[in-house]
Amino acid sequence: MKGYIGEFEELVLLTIANLAKDAYGVAILNDITERANRKLSIGALHSTLTRLEEKGYISSYLGEPTSERGGRRKRYFELTDSAKVELANMKALRDQLWAGSKINLSVK
Amino acid sequence: MKQPPLLAQKLLKWYAGKADLEDIQGDLNEVYGLNLEESGKLKADFKYWRQALSLLFSYGLKKRKTKAAYSSYYHKNSIAMIRNYFKIALRSFSKHKLFTSLNLFGLALGMSICLLALSISVAIYQSDNWQANRERIFQVNTHIVDQNDDRTFASTFKAMGDHLKEQYPFVEEAVTIQSNFYPEVDHNGNMIPLQGYMTEQSFLDVFSFKLIKGDQKTALSAPNSMILTEEAADLLFRDEEVMGKTLETSHGIYTVTGVMENLKQTHFYFDMLASPSEQRSNVASDWTDHNRNYVYVLLDDTEAEGDLAQALEQTAELAASFNPERKIAFEYIDLEGVVPRWNISRAIGIGWDQPSMIFFLTIGLLVLLPAVFNYTNMSIARALKRAKEIGIRKVVGAEKHQIKAQFIIETIILAVFALVGSLVLLYPMKQEFLSMIIGGSMLNTDPNAAQILTFLIFSILVGVLAGLFPAQFFAKLNPIQTMKGEIKNGKSTVSGFKKGLFVFQFFLSLIFVIGVMAMARQYSYVLNNNHGFQSENILAVPLERIDKQIAINELGSHPDVKAITSSSNLPGLFMDGYKQATSNQQDTIEIREVFIGDDFIESMQIELAWGESQSLQASNQNEELVLVNERFIEALQVFNVQSDTLRFTLADGTKCRIVGIMKDFNYEPLNQIIDPLVMRYSLEDSKYALLTVSSGNIKRTVNELEERWSSIDQEASFRATFLDDEIEDAYWFLRVQMKFFSVLSTLAITISCLGLLGMVSYTTENRTKEIAVRKIMGASNPSLYYLLTKDFIKLILISALIAIPVSYVFYDKLFLHFLIPYGTGLGFMEIFVSVLFLFLVGLFSIYWQTAKVTKANPATKLRYE
Repeated sequence: MKGYIGEFEELVLLTIANLAKDAYGVAILNDITERANRKLSIGALHSTLTRLEEKGYISSYLGEPTSERGGRRKRYFELTDSAKVELANMKALRDQLWAGSKINLSVK
Repeated sequence: MKQPPLLAQKLLKWYAGKADLEDIQGDLNEVYGLNLEESGKLKADFKYWRQALSLLFSYGLKKRKTKAAYSSYYHKNSIAMIRNYFKIALRSFSKHKLFTSLNLFGLALGMSICLLALSISVAIYQSDNWQANRERIFQVNTHIVDQNDDRTFASTFKAMGDHLKEQYPFVEEAVTIQSNFYPEVDHNGNMIPLQGYMTEQSFLDVFSFKLIKGDQKTALSAPNSMILTEEAADLLFRDEEVMGKTLETSHGIYTVTGVMENLKQTHFYFDMLASPSEQRSNVASDWTDHNRNYVYVLLDDTEAEGDLAQALEQTAELAASFNPERKIAFEYIDLEGVVPRWNISRAIGIGWDQPSMIFFLTIGLLVLLPAVFNYTNMSIARALKRAKEIGIRKVVGAEKHQIKAQFIIETIILAVFALVGSLVLLYPMKQEFLSMIIGGSMLNTDPNAAQILTFLIFSILVGVLAGLFPAQFFAKLNPIQTMKGEIKNGKSTVSGFKKGLFVFQFFLSLIFVIGVMAMARQYSYVLNNNHGFQSENILAVPLERIDKQIAINELGSHPDVKAITSSSNLPGLFMDGYKQATSNQQDTIEIREVFIGDDFIESMQIELAWGESQSLQASNQNEELVLVNERFIEALQVFNVQSDTLRFTLADGTKCRIVGIMKDFNYEPLNQIIDPLVMRYSLEDSKYALLTVSSGNIKRTVNELEERWSSIDQEASFRATFLDDEIEDAYWFLRVQMKFFSVLSTLAITISCLGLLGMVSYTTENRTKEIAVRKIMGASNPSLYYLLTKDFIKLILISALIAIPVSYVFYDKLFLHFLIPYGTGLGFMEIFVSVLFLFLVGLFSIYWQTAKVTKANPATKLRYE
């Protein structure tokens, strides 16, 4: 297994996958805030993004500038193949564990 | 659209430095816009700040910064670069050896006086930092405002110590010190003047002075006990056992109960400590008199400082009730802060203060400044040599601040090297200087951490100061021009600014040289000029423990002794103490009193303006016949209402009649104002026999005199000195002054000449080709010398023109006037000789360099360039 993905990192990767072509800083931030109901600072998000980039799970490119950003360009993120493999591995592991569970995990 | 808080943006940008932030800033802006719509400006601003601050500490930003730092394009000064600066600096030093050694030498000389001042200042600041209780000891000061005064005194009222200790429980101990204790101690018949403090046992308890002998806990508890410092004990007893000895002094009899280590690093200054003869009883003046009375308190806790302030406020109210005409406030200062202070009256001990330290440092800076100018001057003048290097640096991407950093680092390295050289100079200078100042031996100026740190910071500052200007200049160079080898300012002539610096240097040197000359002139004047009396061939013999009349008769009968007389003071030496005299029983004048023996006026050849001196002996019980000087008559004239102007009364009731008036002469050294003088006839009060001798072999005569002396009294020791030697000793202050000025002028001249040397060598080097061409065309050597030197000679002349009037006003009207009012002032000769001297020295250093160029074979020189 290559590298280790933390829970939050997994969340960020999946959010990027959900946002597809629209995955840049603020969009990811808002999505996570809404879906997971987590308070998140830009600093924390960018730190995670930097780590993921270092581990080779995401790549980035600069987009077009917009006026609400004070004329600054967006940095878009996309998943690399190794991220997809890693995510798949994790899902498989989880599915296996869910399926093998001896007690009923669904809560009424 | 509203902008997010500017300061936060700037902070972020500043912190990020070269790192790319565009997307993060964009994100921040976008979030700010959303927040603005949602919850208003205030909250949005707040949130922006929070985001920005959290970013400062985030991993993401840190990573981007390190990445930016290692990119080849963006480069901040890294260790590797600084190492390179060091290497280049050292290489450039070794490449330009003359330039470097001139500057190194100049800076080392220039820094030496500053280092001396700094090392002494550091030692003064560290005074009493070794006392064990230093954090709990405070000195009580008194601020007094009355009609003509508004001052803070280091002293305080006599009742203060006891009052504080009795009334306030947090005052663990109080020490009262009276510093006006100047007993003369009887030492085998000689009265040796010592200086000390009258204090109490608590002094030893509160302060950590160590006793070598005696009991630390009880040495001063008994009345009339005395503790001597090691030095004083040595002086009085040498190898004898000191403890338990009784000392007869002019202030009573004391028993020695201890010997203390010599004072080191403290603001106190004493030869002895003594306990008073009886328990101090309360007197009315205890709350009004603060003269020479100092109080220190030891608090039970370092935290009690606030209580002390409060206690002193209450005490001030109490003191005010005793002093209705004065406004009184008490202040306190912790022990380590006692010296140096900015503005305090009547400090105890030597009383180091900040103004005099600053004055000393300023003199040091005056000597240093020319050396700094030299560096600035020479390195800008030599810009051509470094220009290509700078050009290449710039072309490969060096920024202005990097070029600046390089040159400033280079100068700092040079200054630190100079510091090392300066330390070699400092050591002998320090010893000499400390032996000249009072209390100098008390200062511990051995290297310690604080001193080394101060020196290092100082030399770095000097480096920055010297390097700033050249660095600025180099950073501004245009790389294209430098690569082509043309620099705008690199002309071979000397610019106006540099000329100004030059003139200043020589001006300063000249001022110092004239100072030395003036001092030397005063010195030779005071030694050769008689003070209005005969001082040559006069032997002075102290008359102690011997029958004076017999001694005078015996010594006077020696064939080599032409005349003998006696007096209470040696003429030409300092006197102490004034007496009062009055002519109308109301107004008194202060006078000096001298007792003389037979034939004093005749053998000292003192001129009388009026009257005669023979009848002095004819005094009777009703009136004493005396001699006075003209100044006395003048002083008395002011209130003379009596018909008989020749009668007056001394403070002790003696009625006097003047029988002779002496012309004014300097009974004391020439720096002392002539005071009204009264000479009374009394052999009994005379302390010296004055023998006018004429002898082919003075040594034999003295030996014979000693034999005669011993035949009268075996016990009394015979000492004979020549009066003019004694007088010469009295002028030690002039010698000190002279020494100080000689050091300063030597330094200043050397530095100025180094600068001259550097500039001349540079200009001549640049004109090598020109000189060669001129020579080939048939120019003679003298004309070449004239060509090369005329600019510099002009500059020296200008500085002389400025220095002459300035030094005349400074020395003649101010300095010498106060130092030695009866001296000769500044003469034409001193100025002339000084200017000539500096001129020759300057000319010589110019010649040294120009000779090299003019004597060279023009053919080789032409080929060389």
